[in-house]
Amino acid sequence: MVKDVVLPEPIAREGLRILGIETSCDETAAAVVVDARDVLSSVVSSQVELHAPYGGVVPEIASRAHVEFLIPVVARALLEAGIDDDQVDAVGATVGPGLIGSLLVGVSAAKALALVWGVPFVGVNHLEAHLYAAFLEEPDLELPIVVLLVSGGHTLLVLMEGHGQYRLLGSTIDDAAGEAFDKVSRYLGLGYPGGPAIDNIALEGDPRAVEFPRAILDEGYDFSFSGLKTAVVNYVRKNPGVPIPDLAASFQEAVVDVLATKARRAAREFNAKGLCLAGGVAANSRLRERILDVCVEDGLRVFLPGRSMCTDNAAMVAAAAWWRLRSDGPSPLDVGAYPNLRLPVA
Amino acid sequence: MLILGLDTATVQVSCAVGGHEGVLAATQSSRAKRHAETLVPAIEFTCRQARIDLKEISVVAVDLGPGLFTGLRVGVATAKAMAHALRVPMIGVSSLDLVAFPVRFTNRLIVAAIDARRGELYYGFYRQVPGGIQRLSDHHIGSPDDLASELLATGEDCLLVGDGALRYREVFEGLNKVELADQEFAYPSATSLTMLAHAQALREQFVKPWELQPLYLRKPDAEINWSMRDAR
Ligand SMILES: [Zn+2]
Repeated sequence: MVKDVVLPEPIAREGLRILGIETSCDETAAAVVVDARDVLSSVVSSQVELHAPYGGVVPEIASRAHVEFLIPVVARALLEAGIDDDQVDAVGATVGPGLIGSLLVGVSAAKALALVWGVPFVGVNHLEAHLYAAFLEEPDLELPIVVLLVSGGHTLLVLMEGHGQYRLLGSTIDDAAGEAFDKVSRYLGLGYPGGPAIDNIALEGDPRAVEFPRAILDEGYDFSFSGLKTAVVNYVRKNPGVPIPDLAASFQEAVVDVLATKARRAAREFNAKGLCLAGGVAANSRLRERILDVCVEDGLRVFLPGRSMCTDNAAMVAAAAWWRLRSDGPSPLDVGAYPNLRLPVA
Repeated sequence: MLILGLDTATVQVSCAVGGHEGVLAATQSSRAKRHAETLVPAIEFTCRQARIDLKEISVVAVDLGPGLFTGLRVGVATAKAMAHALRVPMIGVSSLDLVAFPVRFTNRLIVAAIDARRGELYYGFYRQVPGGIQRLSDHHIGSPDDLASELLATGEDCLLVGDGALRYREVFEGLNKVELADQEFAYPSATSLTMLAHAQALREQFVKPWELQPLYLRKPDAEINWSMRDAR
């Protein structure tokens, strides 16, 4: 539900072109989206190669790269959208959660652009932006829906009851799902980032080869993945000869099993109309397959955003900015970055 | 020609607008660590005080550091975006040049020292020349004791200036021939920045927004650890 805010005429009209900027972690991204529906451009400059030697994102390296790449990425997004600077109606940027140094680069640049162009600036919550990735491809998605937001930094199960109205059902009590993929991948010598590495090699393995523990944590919707990582390590110690593809497939199966089981249970309990995936781990092919099965069996609408909309991008930021602009109006120019920002829950 | 100068390389945030008439308006605030919150409103305010429209700005100048990484990036990211949106060129000036510049009316050796945290300083040596200052060396990073021995080695009368010098004043105060400049000169300022940038602008020493990079002088820790690991 959109709150009753009287918006100045230029913002209230249709066809609002929003420049989105995303720098919360290791992707420098900019996009132009019209009315949270039409993606005119979405440019993502990935720093994966800069961080790969260290097996994870190095904050200082990420911040430096954002400073270097942001302006070229913004210029490219406007060029690909085929619009001039003076056709941008608002600038939205991720203000948190994320790495403080990285966030500050995007927030600072976005506010400066908005100031020069004389258009509203909108601070965007990165988690909310992930939820809005789904609406980009399906603007009329019927609510309520259960969203499983799984990435390197987050594992959240959210009930979305209306626009801007969320209930946090559960989250991880230790590692994020993507973090578990990275750690196990590193341990198995499969490299960084772990998600795609495990996804790929698991295709050649037997997901039933090893029965890893499922931390279902019967009550509630919280998750735990650190025990699973330990189980993989212990299993390899005791069975050094086990084929890596089998290990990867079995580990992935355990993660997916837990995620899908809880998402399904939540959808039933809250009478959701559909189930939606978001976040980098939502690009995992086995997880997509399982969620699709669950939805077919339970008669739920399924929404699996394209892989490029699951991982960090600025189109989802521009979409979330459009909704926030309509409900709350522009953000003041003295906002900063909020590394521990949470999803605004009712 | 109107220059917008932005400086966030230390705990201070400052902003100035100036040109051949000198500085038209300037603001500064040293309530530490609110660079991103403070800077853009400060730009808006400063331009209003100078009674100029943003569109009249023809150059964006920024303090390139060395300094506090996070603050520095706020300034550089803001400046790049301003220049890009205004379609104007940029000029980057070192923070040490900016600290040395206001105390230039002396025949002594000027030594600018900015706090680099972790017990270290960024420092550089300068001398007054007609119309400004001349940098005598590359920028260094080292401990206060390193700097103290360099000062003694010169055997010259020195004027030591900057927040780094004041932070470790007990190291420098006892030194023969060394005087510490006051707190009011401790930080680089956007006022000096617009003046130094103006001189560079007359010589058309511009850079493009995508070419300008901060002066870090220190590699990210992870890279340092990585190369040490390789060396072992
Ligand atoms: Zn994300």
